[in-house]
Amino acid sequence: MKSFQYIIILLALGLCSCNKIIDQLPESNLSTVTYFKTIDEVQAGINGCYNSLQRPLQYEWQLTELRSDNTKMGVPASTASGNRDFSDLDMFIPASTHSGIYSYWLTTYNNIKNVNILLQRLGVTYDPAAGSLTMSPSIDIPMSDSIRKQMAGELLFIRGYHYFNLVRLYGGVFLVHAPLTPTDAKTINRSSVADIYKLIEADLKAATTYTSQLKFSQIIAANVGKANAWAAKALLAKVYLTLNRKPEAVTQLQDVITNSGFSLQATYANVFSITNEMNSELLFTVRFKSGGLGLGSTFGNDFGPLNSGSAVINGSGLGNNYPTNDLDTAYVATDARRPVSLAVYGTGTAAKLYVKKFLNPVTISGDGESDWPIIRYADMLLMMAEAQGYSTTSIGYINQVRARTGLGNLPATVNTVALFEQALSNERRLEFAFENQRWFDLIRFNTTLTTITAQQTIKNHFAKEYARHYAQYLAPTPTLAELQSYVTDAHMILPIPQHEIDTNTQLKIDQNPGY
Amino acid sequence: MKKLYYFMAAFIFLLCNAASAQQTIKGKVTDQATGEPLKGVTVWADKSKAGVPTKDDGTYTIIVNAASTSLTFSYVGYASQSIAIGGRKTIDLKMTASLADMADVVVIGYGTQKRSSVTGAVAKYKNDQMNETPSSRLDQALQGKIAGVAIQNVSSEAGSEPKVRIRGLSSIGASSAPFVVVDGQPSDGLAFVNMADVESVEVLKDAASAAIYGSRGANGVILITTKSGKADKPKYSLKFSIGEKDAYKLYPMMTVTEYTKMLFDEAALKATDPSITPPTGNAIASSPERAAYVIEQTIMGGVPTDWQASALRKAQVMNIQLGASGGTKTVKYYFSGGYQKDQGMMYHSEYERFNIKGKIDAQLGKKVKLTFNVNPSYIKRERPSTNFIDFVRFQSYLPIYLNEATAAFVRQSPLYPDVKAGDFAQARYFNGRVYTGLMPDGSNWVNTTAIDPFSTANNTPKSAMETRTITTNDYRLLTSGELTINILPGLDFKTLASSYVIFSNGLDFTKRNSARAGDVNKGVYMNSNTIDLLSENTLTYAKTINDHSFTVLAGYTAEKNRTKIDQVTGLDYPSDNVTTLNTALTVDNDRENTYNNRFTWGLLSYLGRVTYAYKGKYLLNASLRADGSSYFGEGHRWGTFPAISLGWSAGKEKFFSNVKWMSDLKFRGSYGALGNNRIVGNAPYDLLYSANYPTGAANGTSALGQVSGRDLGANPLITWERTFSYNGGLDVSLFKSAVTFSLDVYQSKTEKLLLRQSTLAFTGITQFNNNIGKIQNDGIELEVTTNNIRKKNFKWSTSANISHVKNKVLQLGDEALLLNQGERTELYMNKPGAPLIQYFGYKTDGVWLSQADITAAQAKGLTSTLSNVFVPGGLKLVDLNGDNKIDVNDRTVIGNPYPDFTWGITNNITYKGFDVSFMFQGSQGGKLVNGDPNYNETKRYNRNYNANRWLSPKFPGDGKTPYSTVGFNWMLTDYVVEDASYYSLREVLVGYTLPTKWIQKVHMGSMRFYFSAQNLFYHFGSNYRGINPEARFNTGPYNTPLVDGYQRGSFPLNRTFLFGVDVNF
Repeated sequence: MKSFQYIIILLALGLCSCNKIIDQLPESNLSTVTYFKTIDEVQAGINGCYNSLQRPLQYEWQLTELRSDNTKMGVPASTASGNRDFSDLDMFIPASTHSGIYSYWLTTYNNIKNVNILLQRLGVTYDPAAGSLTMSPSIDIPMSDSIRKQMAGELLFIRGYHYFNLVRLYGGVFLVHAPLTPTDAKTINRSSVADIYKLIEADLKAATTYTSQLKFSQIIAANVGKANAWAAKALLAKVYLTLNRKPEAVTQLQDVITNSGFSLQATYANVFSITNEMNSELLFTVRFKSGGLGLGSTFGNDFGPLNSGSAVINGSGLGNNYPTNDLDTAYVATDARRPVSLAVYGTGTAAKLYVKKFLNPVTISGDGESDWPIIRYADMLLMMAEAQGYSTTSIGYINQVRARTGLGNLPATVNTVALFEQALSNERRLEFAFENQRWFDLIRFNTTLTTITAQQTIKNHFAKEYARHYAQYLAPTPTLAELQSYVTDAHMILPIPQHEIDTNTQLKIDQNPGY
Repeated sequence: MKKLYYFMAAFIFLLCNAASAQQTIKGKVTDQATGEPLKGVTVWADKSKAGVPTKDDGTYTIIVNAASTSLTFSYVGYASQSIAIGGRKTIDLKMTASLADMADVVVIGYGTQKRSSVTGAVAKYKNDQMNETPSSRLDQALQGKIAGVAIQNVSSEAGSEPKVRIRGLSSIGASSAPFVVVDGQPSDGLAFVNMADVESVEVLKDAASAAIYGSRGANGVILITTKSGKADKPKYSLKFSIGEKDAYKLYPMMTVTEYTKMLFDEAALKATDPSITPPTGNAIASSPERAAYVIEQTIMGGVPTDWQASALRKAQVMNIQLGASGGTKTVKYYFSGGYQKDQGMMYHSEYERFNIKGKIDAQLGKKVKLTFNVNPSYIKRERPSTNFIDFVRFQSYLPIYLNEATAAFVRQSPLYPDVKAGDFAQARYFNGRVYTGLMPDGSNWVNTTAIDPFSTANNTPKSAMETRTITTNDYRLLTSGELTINILPGLDFKTLASSYVIFSNGLDFTKRNSARAGDVNKGVYMNSNTIDLLSENTLTYAKTINDHSFTVLAGYTAEKNRTKIDQVTGLDYPSDNVTTLNTALTVDNDRENTYNNRFTWGLLSYLGRVTYAYKGKYLLNASLRADGSSYFGEGHRWGTFPAISLGWSAGKEKFFSNVKWMSDLKFRGSYGALGNNRIVGNAPYDLLYSANYPTGAANGTSALGQVSGRDLGANPLITWERTFSYNGGLDVSLFKSAVTFSLDVYQSKTEKLLLRQSTLAFTGITQFNNNIGKIQNDGIELEVTTNNIRKKNFKWSTSANISHVKNKVLQLGDEALLLNQGERTELYMNKPGAPLIQYFGYKTDGVWLSQADITAAQAKGLTSTLSNVFVPGGLKLVDLNGDNKIDVNDRTVIGNPYPDFTWGITNNITYKGFDVSFMFQGSQGGKLVNGDPNYNETKRYNRNYNANRWLSPKFPGDGKTPYSTVGFNWMLTDYVVEDASYYSLREVLVGYTLPTKWIQKVHMGSMRFYFSAQNLFYHFGSNYRGINPEARFNTGPYNTPLVDGYQRGSFPLNRTFLFGVDVNF
């Protein structure tokens, strides 16, 4: 009978000691339940949001440069599915299921989610009806008002930047301004373009007042790279220009030009040099860092020449974002910007163009140092010219930018509105080549310039490239007429990813026309 | 350790002791019905310690203590009998077979039960001595043998596990793999069970049987009982088999020469079609195609490369198993050791396993019994770094290695001055050159521009495969001890403690320039470490009072499992030959590549069961289990899972004894609830991930960053998924057990499905875990065994099983339907009222025969917003909703992956020393989505996609086969939905057992030789264009049960030939 007693004891022991084993918190990761509760933790969250600006850039060039006259898909004979996806964008026939269109959307909205979680912790809310932001009087996290504003301002800058890209690419998107449960998401339909711009304006305006107003030279080393008031003003100016609210754009631009302390670099190469990062021309950049940290830029390899082994960059290039011949020949031979922006690999019939702007030596494939400029000072000058239209002052702004290219002033023959607009468009194209500006410029020109239209530019580009490129496509080879017929008004914006339409089974989501 | 010595000592002592004797009894044991001698019957004398087995001729000789008064004869499948000795020196006995298999003891959760008392749906598979399958893997051995257990070889790679599903899918979000228990210890699948050690396998199919496993029984339970020693003289066994496997079928790919000829032949035909402009120049064959042809004809000298063959080999398989077992009445032992080697058909695919098992059962006095089990194993595995499809897709014009001539040609390029004969050839070596030469039609192709015949930056699959090695080493140690204490008569306390330790280390080393030129070399070191600790404690009370017999079980169990995974990625090594991390230039600090992860889960359970039988005829079984799981958040952790089942052994009723033709009849019925918690860990929490960012001046310094999860969202309310199921069964035995059959009908409903639900991407995530919806499975299973011939020297029996299961989604929360995308944007729909997965896309109606055909349709107002819809020779999409507009609204259901039924038939024939068995197995009615045609290379060069294809209005082929490169994307249509049905002669086995008299001369027990062959014959479904209808993708978007049925570039089926020998002595 003794053994029976032991068993009772054993059983009792077993029963009480075990409850702990089913109480397990995540061991390998922090979670939103426990984190973002102190200043340092919110700062780590903001760093994470900056980091998450990198991912959409992986796809942005496909949706912008590739569709513009700057670049094309490099290997027309290829039928690999990745290359076909590029071709679809290049030729204006992407399906609503296109993977690049979906990935850009997802990665952008993912960062909007990150931003919204932190804005909620900082007590910042947006009222879509009023189009205004409110900051709650107090929050749980002990911090000074100025720190709270600086943090909120940086986050609002990032959110405004994301929505500005989304609305220009997809039209009226879904307005997500606070953390969202999957259930609530189903009740949200697309917003109007105007409502999206309302948020962008509110976010960027708040960013201009919340974030640091210090001049370039006064920014302390630790704060270099953070969104500041000048970056917000610069971006806001571009928003106004896009909306054809020129006077408001001029106000912001004038402020940046006069007061920011940001300025042009002496040489074009200096702007992109990896030994001169965060220079006075860069109002805001998405930063990359090499050294096996997982923070490297892949663009050197992505855009490097295909099949070049280690001749150009370690680990070869993929030949993506292939510069058009049209762009190459648009550069005057002596233009100092050409050797920085693009280069040729191979000789004779095998010669291949490639994008050089973000290409620097790497030890390991995809681990480059080059930052990605989002908005820079040269853009301030050229936007001023664009906002003010044909005038001597405007030509003066363009000439400031041309001063370091070795080309000198615009010739005096640029003496009509049409020629001025042509010159401005061309200047922007060459200055910002491969910086994902060209597509947005072309679309914007439709409202800000009288003589340049996106559709005509693209059609002309097809005609110029047809014989040497598009005629090389395998059966069925598109005819030039067909190619040009794809360039329609409707195709100036992308389709809403089919995933969103298929997944919401409660609301009918309208697709953009033409898809 | 000390205790082990005692066991050993005790065991040796007992062995020695067994010899003292005073009386010899001889005799012969035969079968009552057939008169055949019975071999292996255990003969015991009371008051004596050891028993003896009967020999092959049924005779035995036992030396017994003078005090002994009776002999007991026991034999599996026969009723045990005790015979008084009464001074006799010879005792012959005719034993009566119990009703075929029905008197067996069946292992159920936490105990055993007589087969005749089973009230649920439990299938038993015995690893019979004679006709043992030569398969070294248990999961393969079970294929086609048990109704309701579907085993599919989704990959033919060496050592890869087949997919096992019991009664279809009960869960969709959580795992659907059955729960495997080896000798009471939960195990991580069937792969690590050594077939030779298996005594029997029980499959608990219905809820009532599995409910005692509560939360883990939802997908059915597979209970494995390993062999134990028997009280007998030491027995040794040796099993050896060796064989070879090769591909049953390869993709029918054309060489570049054949392909180019086909294009020119087509052009010649098209030239005779007045309705089209005859193709010329590039419209016949593009410049890269022409260049490839020129290379193959001139530089390659007309000898194409067979890339598929370069990936494959005749693979060797070998299996050696040694065993020793025996014991006395008080201590029994079983030891085994084995080595298995299984080469994959693809190079760099190999699986080697060493395993040892030791099991000791000891009666430690009158009241205490101990079982000790130790089972170490070592598995070494190498996996190929390249997919087979990469070889299939590759064009024949490229050589594998450069020879003198080709190297000289490549060196003419300024880019590759250093290549030499013997180097791997790469596509880029042939790029950027000017090619010109004769075409198949005799014309001279003159070209002046540089051409890239194949514009890839990737190295060839063969060179990539040979320069990357992926190896893992798994070390496993399963140790368990079980103590049973008999407290009072009928009351037993049993406690089991076990630990299962898995240590795994792997190295994935990629040499310099492996995938592409300029790639640095890279080493990925992966260590993982899992410890699973289990304590099970049960009290069992069994009592019979007159006609009433009860068994009551109560217990609790606690299990904790802790896993640690470390991965370090090193980059840039000075040499490809020294692969230690010390020599690497840098460690990749990206948290995706270098990390350390930990995860712990715990499960706490209370369980109880009552079984009651009245007169052995009226049976009741009720159980209850409560489980608490760490997978869920506070307040959502506990689930309770009850079950009840009833049985009526009508065959034992008096009125039945007059029915001569029916030997037995039993009705069973059950109802039970089960749970499932097998989702990804940490589902209740919104996890943060490392996302550092360079901050500060100049190049910046990396600063700490954290962001919320990118793909999977959190759900703090997540809790148990529950399955409720009914089972009705009937067991019948006819004509003195000549025919037996079991029929089971069931229905199960699963609620609160643990579903990885898709969500709108604008929330920033794509999926989250949720408890939504209900699905239902209805099924019927039939197993029939007939003993066709039961002669002394000639036996023939047939067992067949067939099962049908139909699943249906009842509800998906508030979702009208879910659409999930596969890797090629093909869609999988989940919709209430329909089978769980349905392929969703466009219906096609052949191809557009001509432009006129299209114009006519468009004249009637047909339009489309989709691209490439109106192309002659392209697929003709059906305007399903009749709105004259082909758009996304015309998509519909175009098939589902579920077979109508699956079946297996096994015949066993023995004639004297010969034994023959053959098994057919098949699946009928399922469909699959074939992803091969997504690749243009596959479509163009594969004969299956080109036979009878449309060429021009005058040559429309069969009017159904599109021209491979034109028109609408095939992947979105029913054109790639193919019949996955198959039947195969899965296994043929011919064995011969040497006559006992020969064997005994060399002092051996028995010796058998056999040959076996697998997949000798395999029949594919009608419109299937691939090479392995069982292959499925289960990674990427297919790593969820909501998306299934897709294959791409499947690995070939293997055909295996084995020779083996089994020796016992």
